[in-house]
Amino acid sequence: MTKQLFQGNQAITMAAEVAGLKFFAGYPITPASEIIHELVNKKHIKVLQMEDEIASINAIIGASLAGLKSMTATSGPGFSLMQESIGLAHMMEVPLVIVNVQRVGPSTGMPTLPAQGDVIQCIHGSHGDYFPIVFYPNSVSELYKYTIMAFNAAEESLSPVILLSDGFISHLYETIIPDRNFDIKNRTRPPLGAGNRHFTGLSHEDSVPKTSDVDNYRRLITRLHEKQQLTAQRYNYYEYLECSKDTDTLLISYGALSRIAYYFKNDFALYRPIRLFPIVEEIKIIASRYKRILIMEMNMGQYTHEIERILHREVEFIPILGGRIDLNEIKQKLYEQRY
Amino acid sequence: MNKDTNFKRYLKLDLLPTPWCPGCGNGIVLKTICQAFDELDLPKNSTVVVSGIGCAGRSAGFFDLDSVHTAHGRAIPAAEGIKYANDALHVVVVSGDGDLIGIGGNHLFQAIRRNTNITVICYANEIYAMTGGQVSPITPHNTKTLTTPNGNPDHPADIQFLFKSNNCFFARTTAYHLNHMRKCIVEALKFKGFSFVEARTMCIVNYGRRLGYKNSNEMLLHYKEFYKINDYAEELAENEIGIIKSVPRSSDGFPSA
Repeated sequence: MTKQLFQGNQAITMAAEVAGLKFFAGYPITPASEIIHELVNKKHIKVLQMEDEIASINAIIGASLAGLKSMTATSGPGFSLMQESIGLAHMMEVPLVIVNVQRVGPSTGMPTLPAQGDVIQCIHGSHGDYFPIVFYPNSVSELYKYTIMAFNAAEESLSPVILLSDGFISHLYETIIPDRNFDIKNRTRPPLGAGNRHFTGLSHEDSVPKTSDVDNYRRLITRLHEKQQLTAQRYNYYEYLECSKDTDTLLISYGALSRIAYYFKNDFALYRPIRLFPIVEEIKIIASRYKRILIMEMNMGQYTHEIERILHREVEFIPILGGRIDLNEIKQKLYEQRY
Repeated sequence: MNKDTNFKRYLKLDLLPTPWCPGCGNGIVLKTICQAFDELDLPKNSTVVVSGIGCAGRSAGFFDLDSVHTAHGRAIPAAEGIKYANDALHVVVVSGDGDLIGIGGNHLFQAIRRNTNITVICYANEIYAMTGGQVSPITPHNTKTLTTPNGNPDHPADIQFLFKSNNCFFARTTAYHLNHMRKCIVEALKFKGFSFVEARTMCIVNYGRRLGYKNSNEMLLHYKEFYKINDYAEELAENEIGIIKSVPRSSDGFPSA
């Protein structure tokens, strides 16, 4: 297969088609709109432009229950609107893929510029406890690969899987080889019309709402938690580059910002989570080899807290607030921190 | 089973009783929906019920067919997703006035615009009942509720005109007029396009008793005395129930260049 030039958002749509996407509902938003623009031209994929992101996610919940692999794509403001129904999809165990091409927030922020401010919203945006699987690639070819992984993980876990991107890598053009040889997971649950099941956001057991059975609720949430952890273990994706020189520092970054981290590979060991959540356990072993852990991310330390929590030790943090990724600025901050 | 009880095949009888208060009218609507299903002999394996949140939203779980109990106000977009995913399914939304016209009002308007081929049955009790009795979009003017202690300052939404905008089906009926309700639901289910039945139903515990009704029977008698049937009229007056005549659209907007 030959290399071809594609935009990040375009790669997502091609991969989604390979993964078996049949239904898409979305609402226009920069920098995610290219996804719906590409999909409307594809045969065999039903595309709806809905009135808002709330309608979009509920439409794909309906379509997914009706048996079609479904996806939506949005950016921060739309992702915020979807939160309630993301919790619903976890409770009803509906496989979905939600693409969030992050932009600078909060609120309307800077719509076309990249940021990484939605990291915690992915796991705590909806009320109650739920345990989503989140991927965050850092190149066009990775967007392609992890879109397919997101669809597979959604089918295996029967839950909404989040594919994070940002205004930078989604609008990036790179040459990729659009490989079609992936093992594609298919739907295991029969579509709507096959029985007398009741899908509900209420605490439930075997299709029956149990609104005040505390023991049943605890069993339900424990089961959902275990299911997510178990599925996630099959998608242990991260990148770890040991330093050629002797170093005591591990530099952690992800998404767009991690692309610039490669520049420092001769001074630091590099770690990049691709599956952001649940956090890849290997980080514990890798981090134990280094005296200093340094994280840089395009927010005020959202993933830093998560890493601290899992490592039970202090980590240093460099905020590169959203909008600009500048080598000199990062260089200055990195070496200031060090010496 | 004889003809009169045949509708029960659409219900999960072992889950009864419903969680509704004594005197609630929702059971009447639930039963009438099942009777309409039975009259049309809707196959269980091609019918899906979708509901939102609230008293009426709980009715979805009692249907003996696949059902989805969505988030508050979002039954219509979920139902549209199901219908566009599998056109062979009969998709029926059952929910309340607060859910469909209040929090989900925009989705209702957009579904009319899209004219999605689904049927919506609105259990219109004129109140947010599950939360204790707050004012709803169709609570009459000057009515006292928990959140309008001096009377509702607003006028109720008369949504029939929305449906005329895109030649969709609209009917208003009440829990007293059982045969009429059944006829409205049957016609709505047969309608090709977006159809909506506003079924007035009584809430005695969180609404009627505060207005001076002694029991729900008195509320039923109010429906009997207040509402007159006027089917296939151009529009329905405040005290009329019936199916509105749909008018074909005169224009399809800008012609393409």
